[in-house]
Amino acid sequence: MKTWRDIATDGGSDVAGQVAEQADRLAERLRGVRHIVAVMSGKGGVGKSTVTVNLAAALIRAGGRVGIVDGDINGPSLARMTGARAPASSSPAEGTAAAPETIWGARVMSMAFFLRDETTPVAWDAPSQSGGAAWRGLREAAALRELISDVEWGELDMLLVDLPPGSDRFPTLADVAPRIDAVVAVTIPSAVSLEVVGRSVRLIQEHFDAPSMGLVENMASRACPHCGEEDPLYPVGRTEPLANALGVPVLARIPFDPALGAAADRGQSYIREYPDRPAARAFAELADRLQLLLEVP
Amino acid sequence: MKFLCVECNEAMGLDETLGPDQGSMTVIFGCPACGRRTAMLTNASETQVVRSLGVKIGGRGASAEPMEGIRNGLAAASSIGASAPASHGGASKCPFTGMVNEAFERSGMPWTEGAIQRMENIPASARRMVMQSVERYAEAEGYAEVTESALNQARRSMGM
Repeated sequence: MKTWRDIATDGGSDVAGQVAEQADRLAERLRGVRHIVAVMSGKGGVGKSTVTVNLAAALIRAGGRVGIVDGDINGPSLARMTGARAPASSSPAEGTAAAPETIWGARVMSMAFFLRDETTPVAWDAPSQSGGAAWRGLREAAALRELISDVEWGELDMLLVDLPPGSDRFPTLADVAPRIDAVVAVTIPSAVSLEVVGRSVRLIQEHFDAPSMGLVENMASRACPHCGEEDPLYPVGRTEPLANALGVPVLARIPFDPALGAAADRGQSYIREYPDRPAARAFAELADRLQLLLEVP
Repeated sequence: MKFLCVECNEAMGLDETLGPDQGSMTVIFGCPACGRRTAMLTNASETQVVRSLGVKIGGRGASAEPMEGIRNGLAAASSIGASAPASHGGASKCPFTGMVNEAFERSGMPWTEGAIQRMENIPASARRMVMQSVERYAEAEGYAEVTESALNQARRSMGM
């Protein structure tokens, strides 16, 4: 009796061909994107989205063309944080959807643009939302692929993909993106965060074609809004040893500034509003060093 | 997944697909030799797995629409409907963007010939921005000009 290997086709659906076509389409549509950069952390609440948005703003202020993908399918936040809005209706360009643009020049794509309003959760069309352990992850991965590939990005210097917490998120991105040129791993200088982020970075280093990587130490200190003096929020000197152990650079140390959160809530650019504050300068340094990491031959 | 007619030892071909209906798809295969037909009935999870792959059982007649999986895959109560994200193009509409960008541009620090040559593989569209980043790094490190040594030091500082 014939086995699976003896039969050449799947009977007419050509599922393998359709999947290959998806991969080709993805590579073609990202041809104008010079670098794809993942902003990730195994740990939640360390400020990945804040780093993503302000890194994008700093790159744009330095003259770059930047796109942002909100990789958090279930908890999209970048539409609010960037102020990008989708209109009630519009016609997609041929084969792609146009990405809304912030007033400071970043193109943004997020699951939020497909949801009814700010209170609507992501629920997939299924007889029941329970019992979805077998397929929900697949649907989220497919959605991430579309948010990256089905967009008219045009020519970009950098496409930042803001990943949700979890060490499994980078592998998902690696499955759906044709390439990842760099990883920015965000941590805070707490022992708990450093431990989790260290594991996530090692997972990438040991099991994937290692892209360029760097750490960002977020909430490293609190800068006095009056005199600018910085007080550490955690014991100092913890991030550098982890970076040395992992063999990756610390790209920037971002001080905590309450205005960062306030600007994000209003969908305004912190860097445009407070360009001289220490955190804004730290994001400018991060943009510079990321370019050094990616570009200097 | 493939289907085999055991009696004929022939691969069955796809005849038609029905659904999804209440989460279940019906996929009918037929034997080209004896005409025997068999139907594969998927449960809700199996249907979701197929939809997650973004493929069409029975083959695609036309190319996928942009965001097809998201638009068609979201429950009606979640989805914004058939509308697409904003259609924008070109540069920022903000009249100050260019001014702000200009304010961040640097007057050029001197570059040695060798250092400039190492930038030549960077596309022209990105080169200016990269060179400005290098200049800021070199200035912070106390260089009066961008040399190949400065570039090497920048690479080392990135662990390269």
